[in-house]
Formats: sequence, C-alpha cells, structure tokens
Amino acid sequence: MVQLTINGKQIEVPEGTTVLRAAAQAGITIPTLCDHKELTPYGGCRLCIVEVQGFRVPIASCTLPATQGMVVSTETEALKKSRKFVLSMLFSERNHFCPFCQVSGGDCELQNAAYHEEMTHWPMQPGWNNYPVDSTHPYFVLDNNRCILCRRCVRACGELAGNFTLSVAERGAASIIIADTNVPLGESTCIKCGTCVQVCPTGALIDRTSAYQGNEAQITPVKSVCVGCSVGCSVNLLVRDNRLVRIEGDWTGPVNHGLLCEHGRYDPMTESRQRITSPLVRKNGQLEPVSWDEALGAVADKLKPLAGDAHTGVAAIASTRLPVETLSMFKELFAGEFKAHIVTSTEEGMTTAAVFAVAERMGAFEGKLDVLRTADLTLCLGADIVNSHMVAGFLIKRALPKGMRLVSINPQAGVLEDLADLALVNQPGSDLSLVEGLKAIIVKEGLGRTPLALPNAARLIEEAVRATGIPLEKLTQAARMLAGAISPVILFGKGITAQRSEHLIESLHSLAILVGAVERERAGLISMKGEANSTAAALLGLDAPFVLNGQQAVFAAIGDDYVSGRLVKRLVKAPYLVVQAAYQSKLTEQADVVLPVSTWAEQEGHYINLDGRVQKAEKVLTGPEAVRDSTAVLGEIAMRMNMPVRADWQQAIRERKPSMALN
Amino acid sequence: MAKPKIASDWMCGCAGCHMSLLDMDERILKVAELADLRATPITDLKEPDASGVDVGVLEGGINNTANEEVAHKMRARAKILVALGDCAVFGGVPAMRNFCGVEAALKRAYVEAESNEPGCEIPNDPELATMTQTRAIHEVVPVDYNVPGCPPDADVIFYVLAELAQGRKPELKDDLLHWH
Repeated sequence: MVQLTINGKQIEVPEGTTVLRAAAQAGITIPTLCDHKELTPYGGCRLCIVEVQGFRVPIASCTLPATQGMVVSTETEALKKSRKFVLSMLFSERNHFCPFCQVSGGDCELQNAAYHEEMTHWPMQPGWNNYPVDSTHPYFVLDNNRCILCRRCVRACGELAGNFTLSVAERGAASIIIADTNVPLGESTCIKCGTCVQVCPTGALIDRTSAYQGNEAQITPVKSVCVGCSVGCSVNLLVRDNRLVRIEGDWTGPVNHGLLCEHGRYDPMTESRQRITSPLVRKNGQLEPVSWDEALGAVADKLKPLAGDAHTGVAAIASTRLPVETLSMFKELFAGEFKAHIVTSTEEGMTTAAVFAVAERMGAFEGKLDVLRTADLTLCLGADIVNSHMVAGFLIKRALPKGMRLVSINPQAGVLEDLADLALVNQPGSDLSLVEGLKAIIVKEGLGRTPLALPNAARLIEEAVRATGIPLEKLTQAARMLAGAISPVILFGKGITAQRSEHLIESLHSLAILVGAVERERAGLISMKGEANSTAAALLGLDAPFVLNGQQAVFAAIGDDYVSGRLVKRLVKAPYLVVQAAYQSKLTEQADVVLPVSTWAEQEGHYINLDGRVQKAEKVLTGPEAVRDSTAVLGEIAMRMNMPVRADWQQAIRERKPSMALN
Repeated sequence: MAKPKIASDWMCGCAGCHMSLLDMDERILKVAELADLRATPITDLKEPDASGVDVGVLEGGINNTANEEVAHKMRARAKILVALGDCAVFGGVPAMRNFCGVEAALKRAYVEAESNEPGCEIPNDPELATMTQTRAIHEVVPVDYNVPGCPPDADVIFYVLAELAQGRKPELKDDLLHWH
C-alpha cells in the first residue's frame, strides 16, 4: 500500500494504482476523455492533468502511478486554465458542432467536459478540414470528423474483444481511425460486437438503430440478461415509449464484464419475424383467429383424454430459450400427473445429458468461465467457441496476446485455426480415443501432475493415432503443451456432449485432473452448453431425445426462439400440434392451435447460464394486447385440465444434482 | 437613474433565438420594466440608437459583408455585446458549409438542388452582399458575453438580460450552460 495526498485528503491505495484511480476511490473526480475503467491507461487526451509537488509541469494522472508521500492537486486555477486549453485544442481540430450531432445533450463526454470547465465558446475556431466517414457497416457509422483520437475504440477492439480490427492511420492532426489496412468497415474483419460504439465518448461512432432517438441520459437503463446463448451476458436495456432503443453490455456483468456479441447487441434490434397477435385454431384447414377462451378450451379438450397414456398420448417439447419459470411449469404439467411419454427440450440434452449424468454420480465438477482470466493454456474440444459462444470467444481471444496458448482439436477442419497455436482435426467419433491417447502420452512421458496408472498406455496411444488420424508427433505436441501449462483450462462443446457418452466425459475429467486443470479449488473443465437455459432444462431433466412414435398430439412451447428446420420436419408427422410461440414460423403454419406468448423482454424470468449463474431477465416491454406470458398460458391449461401445478421452480431445479456450483 | 437600453439584431441565424426570447412569456414584462427595449428585428426600430445602447444582443453568425456591417455597427454602439445562440457563438449550423466552401454550397443550393429548374444560376446581382466563410461573432468583433444554445432556453436569456439590466455580470454554468 502507498499513502498519498490528493487535494489535502489522505488516501491509501494498493501499489501500482494510478493517481486517477486513487482520486476516484477518494471520491475526487478528475475530468478525462480517453480513460475508460475497462481499458488500459493511454494518456491521450491530457484532460486529466494534475499538479504534483516537486514535478516541474502538470502531468496526466491516468498514466501516473501513485507513489509514497505524493502530494497531488487537481483543481488549481492553473490546471483549470490548462484543461480549458486542452479542450479548446480538441474543439479546434475537427467538426464538433453540437446542433447536428446525435450525442449532444447529455451523451457526449466531450460536451460534458466543456460544460464542466464552464466553457461558453471556443477560443479557437475549427480548421474546416474534412475527414472520412465510413457508413459501410450494417450496425454503425464511423465519422472521423467527430473523433477526438482517444483510441478507446481501438483499445476496446483489441483489449476487450480481442479482435484488433480498428487502428489508427496517419499522424498528428491527420490521424484517422481505420479498419484493418484501411478497408471499409463493412468489408473488414470486424465481428460486429459493437463494443467500440459503446465506449466512444463522442459522436464519432454512431449506432444506426438508436441514432437521433433521444438521449441515453434521459433513459433509465434496465439491467437484464441476454438470452442469445448459454454464456448469459448481463445487458442494459434502453427502453423508451415501450420500444427497445438500444442494448448495451453491462460493465458490472459477472460473466461478460461489459462485452456483448453481434447477436446479443443487435439481433433483438433487427428482429424481422412476424409477431403472432391472436390465438389461432385450425378450422376447415385454415388457421383462424379465435378468443383465448376458445383456443385454451380446444387444447384442454384435446389433451385431457390423452393424459395418463404414457405411450401414444402426448409428446411435449420446450425451447431452452424459455425462462426457467416456464420450463419448470412445462415439466410439472406434462411429466407430472399428465404422464406424457416424451417431455423434453428442443436441445434434447445434446449439450448437457452426458455431463449431468456424470454429475449425478460424481457431484459438481464443472468450473466457472472466470478461470479463463488466469489460464495460460486453453484446450477446446468439439467447440467452435469463437462462433458459437462469441463472448466466451472474446475472453479467449483477448488472452492470446497476453501469452495464453490455444489448442483446438475438432473433427471439423478450420475451427479456431487462425487463432490456435495448435489446431488439429480428428476423425468424427474418435474423441474418446483422442482423450485417452493424450492421457497415455502424458503418463508415458511422466508429465502428469497427479498419479495415474495406465498399464496399457502404449496400446492407447497406438489406438488414438489410428482412430483420430492425427500423427503421433502432433498428438504428442498437444499432450506436452497441455501438461506443460501451469493453469490449463479445458472447454468442450456440442461436438463432445452430443455423443451422449458418460465415459467420454469421465475420461475428459480424468485428463483435467492429470494436467491440473481441475485441482483443489480450481475447476478448469467447462462444457459450453447451448442456448440460454440449457442448464435449467438439464436441471429439470428435460434432456431426453425427441423421437415421435405414434403419439396422438404434440405440445411445442417455443417462446421467442428460432425454430430449426429439423424440428419442423419431425413435427410434420404429428396428428395434432399445439404451438406456443411469439413469432410466426414454419412450425406455427402447420399447427392446429397457436398460442401467442411474450418475448424475452416482455416477461420476467430466470436463466441459468453455462457456469451455473442464476440470472434474472426483466420485463421491460409490454407485448401486443392478446399476447400472454408463457408461464401463465401453461398454468391456464393445467387449470382447465384440472391438474393443479405448484409452480415452484426454485424447488424444481434442486431435484437434480447440478454439474457445477449454482450461484 | 435611467433604465439601461437594450438593442438586438439578427444575422446568419434562423430567428429561433429571438423566438426563444419571446418564449420567456410574461417575464418579458419584467425585462421591459428593468430595461428600455430599443431596436430589435421584431419591433419598429430596426437599428440600435446612434447615441448608443447599454446592451447589444446579436443572433446568428457572420457569413456575408452585410452581416459584418451589422456586427460592427452593434459593436460600435453597444457598451456590452452579447452573442446569442450557437450560430453567434460558434458559427452553428450555417458553418457546416465551411467544410465544403462557399462556392460549392451556393452551387449545390442554386444550381444542383433536385427542386431547381434547369438553367438556374447562382444569384449575382451586384447589390447583393458578398458571401464569406461563416464566422462566429467573436472572430469579427470582440464579444463580452457568449450565450450558447440552439436556441438558448428562455430561462437562460431571461437570466442574462435581467443580470445585465441590473448591472451584474451573468455567469453561465450548470443548468444555464447548454450548447444546444
């Protein structure tokens, strides 16, 4: 710890803390533009200058480490004058005219800084130079004329998303932000996560959907959770007049720390599916709008006689994108007194069944994504994380320049190939041989961190080479890298879990122990799961394969999920189909009854992410008039069939052992 | 003591700042009580008294030779000069044309605009003032108080006029300081 004095106030901070952060801890605000708490200090804007006793000139506090006995002043008349001068210089560089800028009026940090310094005008007028505007990107516009060259976007792109698309070209006043080697943004390597837009302090990066739709400063953001995939990113939803204006990453989010991917940030903003606004019942071959009473009556009349018929009765399937409240009610209704033969989820346990079956015997063994922060090697098996779980991919990509190594082994060529230190392609279905082979090599070479007896190591290695089609030297290289890492992490995806092999999961677990990925408090073995509530569906036991076999009716609870062609194809055969959905799809087209329900943003609900965090999504929008909450609809059906439900999801998810600690 | 005299005029602006002045509603009577409102673009008297006024208020930037004359005349006749609104203070929206130049802006407006008839020309009557780059007032004549805003709120205008009429120095900060 070091002690210093700022504006006469005694402060103690850990060594290495910058003066800017030390001041913030003490409640002293130092104006700044280029600083961002999630980014490494850059010292670009010079607005945070302070006076330090014994220093010849004022110095930027964002890059100045606090030292023992330092005496700092932040609000002297000379500093105020200097800050005004710094701002005057910034305003004189480019087009910072406020009346035609979309962030003016509260959202512009440059304008706010000028207000803070009580600037009523610009002492120096601009130079009237034109800088490039790039409007080739589908989600945002880059206007270099509004740029103050703080490089937050450049740093966010590299340090946070690990993508390194943005950089700066030219020098001095001619500097501009460019993508790659100065190609249009829309044709660049940008992965469209929008983090650059979220960190831009001025109107240089403009979000297309929310531009000119009112100031963020006048909207209270609502904390919620993204339901795009199992990562469970925390979001801030900006809503105005019952309309989603923008989605931003929540910097305090425990999993994503402010990051979002294209799907989380923009998919809900560009939703183009047609909403279902009335219950529909098929009459004379045509779906016709009816009252809720009629639709629910039709469903109850059809389903009730089929209750208790465990074979040819009802098959029920629910989306893993539905909140746990709905999933739990669904399970209770159809698996309880109703005794439906098949009660499962749209993922059919492909990403969870084997893992949870192993946990049933072994207890929780999976870790938290946080382990990636300290990992020096990540092994990805059967997982194209950068594309399937993008934000988890960012956590990996951004660790690579800091020295983390990445090994990817996947039956599909090209997966993580550009990023991995070693990318290998194994034969489909050879994963067990692969994992056993890696273990055998490590044991044979005496590289294991824990003792493991493998008398038949030589045979296992031979078998691995034969089955995977990977040459021995490459397998050995992978094994040595894995064994040589101090804090390795093993991530595995659907490619592994879809095999439904408990043996394979157990083998992976013993590999993790052998190389120290799992030891004492550290759990560096994680399955990526699939959709937002894969874990909840698994906890509720909604993980059986969905195979129709003479069932007389199917109930499909889809919510606002996308419907796969595979599911539609399988449900064509259903003699009677009830679909509960928010949007029209090929599935609703062939349904006998369609029940319109809320989307994720229209109803409160909980989601359990891939590493066991129970998170709440808030209701921020009011849906169309005839649309109902997806849980309430199931409750109504239960009531009409005279099968009361308790609807206690918190109890329901505790009936099965989780594969990770829930929190 | 005689009431302080206030005069105003507009140049390259949209008259919005004067509209905002009227937006102060009944408080304008208070201003009239405190000060002698002389020439304004919305009263009969169009030029500040040759004998001088205490406060001169100018809306709009300066984008031609006629505006230059207005600014110089007001500066010469007013003890205190107030630049009212973003155009007067910064150049404002009309300053956008500085990024392409006067020539290109005139050509776009008078010749190339989709609504123009074929054969349209840039007006060139010798009696017309000569267009210049759009400037903030302080680039042409010294300004005593810059009151930004697009337009400045009626509250801000009332505060500034009331302070000046009572011989005090208005200080724009916090809620009173907005550039648009």
